[in-house]
Amino acid sequence: MSVIEISHLTRDYGSGKGIFDVTFQVNEGEVFGFLGPNGAGKTTTIRHLIGFIRNKAGQCTINGLDCWRDSAKIHQSLGYIPGEISFFDDMTGTDYLKFVSKYKGIAESGRQKELIERFELNPEGKIRKMSKGMKQKLGIVTAFMNDPDILILDEPTSGLDPLMQNRFIELIADEKNKGKTVLLSSHIFEEVERTCDRIGIIKDGKLVTVDSVETLRERHMRTYTVSLNTPEEASEFAKDFGGTASGVNVTVASKLSLESIFMDYYGGGHNDQ
Amino acid sequence: MINSTLYLREMKKSWKMLLIFAAVLTMYVSIIIAMYDPEMMKTLDTFNQIMPEMMAAFGMNGMATSLLGFMVSYLYGFILLIFPMVFSILRGNGLIAKYTENGAIWVLTAAPVRRMKIVCTQLAVLLSGVFLLMIYTTVLELIVAGSQFPDEFEVKQLLALNSGLISLQMFIAGICFLSSCIFSDTKYSMAFGAGIPAFMYVLKMLANVGEKTEAAKYFSFFTLFDGNALIAGETSAIVCTIVLFAGAVVMYVLGCVIFCRKDMAL
Repeated sequence: MSVIEISHLTRDYGSGKGIFDVTFQVNEGEVFGFLGPNGAGKTTTIRHLIGFIRNKAGQCTINGLDCWRDSAKIHQSLGYIPGEISFFDDMTGTDYLKFVSKYKGIAESGRQKELIERFELNPEGKIRKMSKGMKQKLGIVTAFMNDPDILILDEPTSGLDPLMQNRFIELIADEKNKGKTVLLSSHIFEEVERTCDRIGIIKDGKLVTVDSVETLRERHMRTYTVSLNTPEEASEFAKDFGGTASGVNVTVASKLSLESIFMDYYGGGHNDQ
Repeated sequence: MINSTLYLREMKKSWKMLLIFAAVLTMYVSIIIAMYDPEMMKTLDTFNQIMPEMMAAFGMNGMATSLLGFMVSYLYGFILLIFPMVFSILRGNGLIAKYTENGAIWVLTAAPVRRMKIVCTQLAVLLSGVFLLMIYTTVLELIVAGSQFPDEFEVKQLLALNSGLISLQMFIAGICFLSSCIFSDTKYSMAFGAGIPAFMYVLKMLANVGEKTEAAKYFSFFTLFDGNALIAGETSAIVCTIVLFAGAVVMYVLGCVIFCRKDMAL
């Protein structure tokens, strides 16, 4: 059963910017990776889901509820981390967490404390003076603290150090085990590869492909057959490079990393553009 | 209709500003009422003779004979118009446009709280501030004037005067609120929220100066607040007060609807 459904969603900002005819679903209990370079339309798509932008053409629903009209209802069981995070700067982290809990009507549970410890967040002190990473952690705690069923995360690990990125990936794995539905946008291939079941790649506002991580890899797997001088050498070679030997011939396959797959879709460019 | 958590947070932010404005108003209101003194009136008359245009521009036309007339000239021409107006401008901008600009609005909208409730809460905060200032001013006037000149004014007239002022301030708050809802940029929210009332006030000043520029009053909503006519209980003044009030309500509704339909491009 699909929890998040986007069909033919279009928002044209002019001069080629925006999103065009984006269609995909995220099923219950699935972690869906939403991959694309900066400015490809990830955030625009997500803003529709969160109810920040009204859908002009196409539909987007969460649990069958319209993302614009029923936004308040959807947010009862939704956790969200924005791509560009900002808070009420004048508050301390502790005050902010208290405020959000009361504002959203979340009952006090040990969950918040557990998340604070997990990410080594120090919520004391004014948010204005917090580092980018600390703010990101605060955003993570806010999104997960009411234990929502659906998580929409827009580049959630930006600003985190590698250790914290790992902890975040573990957190996603835990949530997945609990049966949560996750939409995770990213341009970090590793985190998507490690956490997601299926991946949608978006380019210039158009969805290029939606597939499972495995299928994507297989589709882009290349095999080579090399001939060596002796069968002994061949079997050694096969052992070292994980190929299969038959006589003097060895067949090796190279699994492309998601990054290379990604670059295929972007015409071999090296940068974010 | 409102979210109490958000309301309390925002009132906490208004609090300091309200205290400062209340202090300033206390000073002016008590000094000016204390200045009501036949002897002092002569001094002010001298000012009027020396620089009548300057005094008239600020609404101090020296026509005052009664205490309330004196207050209309010296309090309701500048101080009681400008200070609550500055409060509305600053808070109006800070309650919505500032959050939309710096992106913190997501904290409020990405939550199980309807946009209508959010915007109504912010409006309630703005109006609470305006009402608190107005109520404080009224109580202060009643105390100061009542203790010094208990026989020189009628409470009913003062209340009529202040209800007109409240309507005017609600109208100004409406302009600030509406522009805060429309614009996602504090630059523009401020340009309209502060610019329109300030420009209108300048027009009023121009109209006060002399006959040549009197026509300017037809272009300023400040003309709808006529202190002397309110004291006299003239029907036209009551109509003007109702017009201001209705205009304010229209702007509140419009602001709320616009906020609810707006794209939050953070």
